[in-house]
Amino acid sequence: MKKRAISILLTTAMTISLFTGCGGAEKAAEAPQAEKEPAAQESEGEQTQPEADSQTAAESVKVTFWNSFTGADGDMLTDLVNRYNEENTDGITVEMDISADFDSQLSTAFAAGTGPTMILSSSAYRFTYGDYMQDISDVFEKTNLDKTDFIQSYLDYCSEGDTLYFVPFQIVGYYMYWNKDLFTAAGLDPETPPSTWDEWAEYAQKLTDESKNVYGSGISYDYAYQIAHIMQRFGGLAVTGESGNWKANFEGNSGYAKFLNMYQTMVQNGDNPLEADTDSMASAGQIGMTVGGPWVTAGLDTAGVNYGIGLIPTGDAGDMNSVEVLGFSVTTAASDAEKAAAYKFIEWWNTENAEGSSPALEWSVANGFPAYTYSVQEKDAYKASAKLSAMSAANPDAPTDFIVDSSFPGTNAVIADVIPEMINSVAFGSSSVEDALAKAQEAADKITANY
Amino acid sequence: MKACIKYWNKPSRCAYLFLAPSVILLILFSVIPLAAAFGLSLFDVPITMNTASFVGFTNFIEAFHDERFLNSLKVTAVFTLLEVPLQVFGALVIASFLTKNNFRNKLLRAIYFLPVICSATAVGIMWKMILHSNIGFITAVLQTMGLGKINFLNTPGLTIFVVSFISLWRSFGISAIIYVTAIQQVSASLYEAAEMDGAGKIKQFFHITAPSIRPTFWYILMTRFAGALQIFDIIYITTNGGPNYTTESTVTYIYSRAFSSASSMGYASAMSVILFVIIMAVTVVMYRKMNKED
Amino acid sequence: MSSKREKKIKDKVCEIPVLVILLVLALLVIIPVIWMTFSAFKPEKEIISWPPTFFPHVLTGQNFVDVQKRINILRYMLNSAIYAGGTTALAVIVNSMAGYAYAFYDFKGKSGLFLLTLATMMVPFQVIMVPLFLVVFKLGMYDSYWGLIIPRVVVAGSIFMMRAAFTGLPKELAEAARIDGLSEFGIFRKIMLPQVKPAIITLTILSVNGSWNDLLWPMIVTSSTEMRTLANGLALFIGQNTIEYGAAFAGALISLLPMFLLYIFGQKYFVEGMASSGLKG
Repeated sequence: MKKRAISILLTTAMTISLFTGCGGAEKAAEAPQAEKEPAAQESEGEQTQPEADSQTAAESVKVTFWNSFTGADGDMLTDLVNRYNEENTDGITVEMDISADFDSQLSTAFAAGTGPTMILSSSAYRFTYGDYMQDISDVFEKTNLDKTDFIQSYLDYCSEGDTLYFVPFQIVGYYMYWNKDLFTAAGLDPETPPSTWDEWAEYAQKLTDESKNVYGSGISYDYAYQIAHIMQRFGGLAVTGESGNWKANFEGNSGYAKFLNMYQTMVQNGDNPLEADTDSMASAGQIGMTVGGPWVTAGLDTAGVNYGIGLIPTGDAGDMNSVEVLGFSVTTAASDAEKAAAYKFIEWWNTENAEGSSPALEWSVANGFPAYTYSVQEKDAYKASAKLSAMSAANPDAPTDFIVDSSFPGTNAVIADVIPEMINSVAFGSSSVEDALAKAQEAADKITANY
Repeated sequence: MKACIKYWNKPSRCAYLFLAPSVILLILFSVIPLAAAFGLSLFDVPITMNTASFVGFTNFIEAFHDERFLNSLKVTAVFTLLEVPLQVFGALVIASFLTKNNFRNKLLRAIYFLPVICSATAVGIMWKMILHSNIGFITAVLQTMGLGKINFLNTPGLTIFVVSFISLWRSFGISAIIYVTAIQQVSASLYEAAEMDGAGKIKQFFHITAPSIRPTFWYILMTRFAGALQIFDIIYITTNGGPNYTTESTVTYIYSRAFSSASSMGYASAMSVILFVIIMAVTVVMYRKMNKED
Repeated sequence: MSSKREKKIKDKVCEIPVLVILLVLALLVIIPVIWMTFSAFKPEKEIISWPPTFFPHVLTGQNFVDVQKRINILRYMLNSAIYAGGTTALAVIVNSMAGYAYAFYDFKGKSGLFLLTLATMMVPFQVIMVPLFLVVFKLGMYDSYWGLIIPRVVVAGSIFMMRAAFTGLPKELAEAARIDGLSEFGIFRKIMLPQVKPAIITLTILSVNGSWNDLLWPMIVTSSTEMRTLANGLALFIGQNTIEYGAAFAGALISLLPMFLLYIFGQKYFVEGMASSGLKG
């Protein structure tokens, strides 16, 4: 009896899986067509909206816009999108959906052939979702945006050959933050942060005060992005080369080894906490020096910490200005009319109003992200921001690649798997620095072999 | 019409009518997706599912050579062994003290139930803050009590206990309440008879309560088992598998393979199939035992 | 006589350690919740501070104002209520019918079907999520209340629980009713269902609570902001890089309140469930 039940279960499962397997493949193949289904259903519900194809100027277009800007900066994005919906005279409505689980939502939607018109994501998403993104290189012809105004190295992040997948939205660099009060308390000059990593280690020791639970250095073992930004200053990029011939540089990388040894020493001496959440500690004034994205300032400001911002100390690998680029992209779910509407929105984002301000400028100043156009860099409001000027002090000619060559498609895997395993095993002493690097090399080789 | 009703009114036949809605919904929304997930395990599929190449059992072979997967199985087993017995027996003992509907018990039941109705996200960040190694309230209290600085969430070997505790904290209330309702249904005359015979509370518990609520016991045991082997949300929010992967459960790892990093739906599905087989095997064994006892 | 008194004394002595244990547990449960409640009224600066505080030094309602400002809380609550209410109403009917069939009838394929039901409980939701979404989409239920509710009605665990509840009832009840000429459905509805009232209330609470706090499913199966549920809305305070602790705790408190009232209200009925048992007492 039981045996039969299980065998029935198995056969049905197999049959159905074959059936749905085919269905799924078919679906994906005709994805661009299928995408219009939900739109059609919706308009049925809201009564007639005939002839979606005819393009009269007065016709309203809805742009569905997904992103993952939860948290405080999502507020500002919402306000700006609302402003656009009120201001624009083209009958365009941008319907934004901020998702706390962007990745799963996006992948399920694409798999079903639905999906939004426009998304806002890291430019690395082109490696994953490139098949669902339209080439938007004609955005500079169809709008008033000036391609030469955009800083080229950031545009490179957004394109693959001649195909442009993103228009830049935000440049995320990591910076050093130091607690001036703790510097003073430790007898260090509060206006002179460390400029080399040897100094960092030296200051960390001085800043640490066990009786007050204060740690000099706040590098989290659970924060791969932070580790990556620091690590590449010691030993350069983790993956270099070119398509079909990528090379991972972990094993035998003396820079990486130096960083890991330094980190291990600081942890063992109690100058760096074994704590995943070092950001909260920095906000509580318990950390002397840390490295992080511009959002760190939000926490420090609310907490009233007296801090300074500077560039991450340079290491043996020389000057670098590692960044991630986030941008707008238009998906294959968008009709031509929707694509045109999305362009209008992107154009508005980067266009100055009568007072000489633009959403892009406001965003940059309010959230502390460096500009991606020359015109914004020249604005007084931009120059006046102490945060931005500290961040913009980076050598403009320094390479902007973040941890791997910016055209290497396996970035995510390196950041999500290789680096965490390496830093964890070193932080918790489960393997020596050499072994950790050898293992990282092995894991990275597997990834590079795929591309 | 009448004949039709009469035909279906036979106990052996109408069972199917009673089951029809649930079975139809199960097939549509559980069995088909499940079968599809199983099908995926034989393919190499990216997150966008727009391409698929058949790879046979490669994903399964890879899984058994994947240190992180094997480690996650170990973590899941440890978690289950810590959490399930405490939950299943602990809640029963607590429940047996709370069966009378007096004010004290009602109040206690309400208190124990509080964590159940908190959202997982809130519970996660709350514990993360309270147990923070540096600015956590409990950490600080223990330190002032002279118990030293305990790093609850960042100590390999210790953190898995902490995570199990949080999971217990969150759900033992519901197990206890379910037991309470079951015990309340036990006929009062049984207890009266026992009282006459001079049986004490402990004796009553073992001779009347325990046997009477067996179906409920099995229900809680089996659902908790399945739940523990699939533990995800609490870990995802509090430690996300750290420190050094010592709390990375199988589903946490599957999730990261499916959605976040080097996404591979096929590989994630293969690992789920393995997990499914393990859970199913345990369940079938328990189911047999349960049927024998019924 | 004397043995009875002795026993009473023994029971009383036993009560003290029991009471202590129960109280310690209650404290363990409630202290973190109180900490969270207090934190919802603290300014952000105080939640993250050294040394940590338990009682707020500064009381503020700002966090609640922030939640109000950020999300359309009434609309989200309505959606959550529809989702939770719809799912629960259907779940009670469908799952108790199934549980009853497994407990009271013998029929061909019983073991097989029950195992199949159990099997669906064994697969992590995260794994079947994408195929499940495809099914819902193909049925045209995407971004609708139906799409939210229908796929979540049948829960193997709930069937299992109802089965356990019905198994505890004497079969003679059904036999007697059958002789009285009641139809099978009549027996179920009029005789059996009232007997398992506590289980139904438990199922209701579980189901309402589960859907009220459900995060992943509503997010995936709806796309318009008007369809968002409260749990989704609250997740917006937890950013990838920053968490707004105060707002998150305030939101958690707001969403906790309806559930707590429901529980207090529901608990009243546990008593009734016991009193109304036909053959008992």
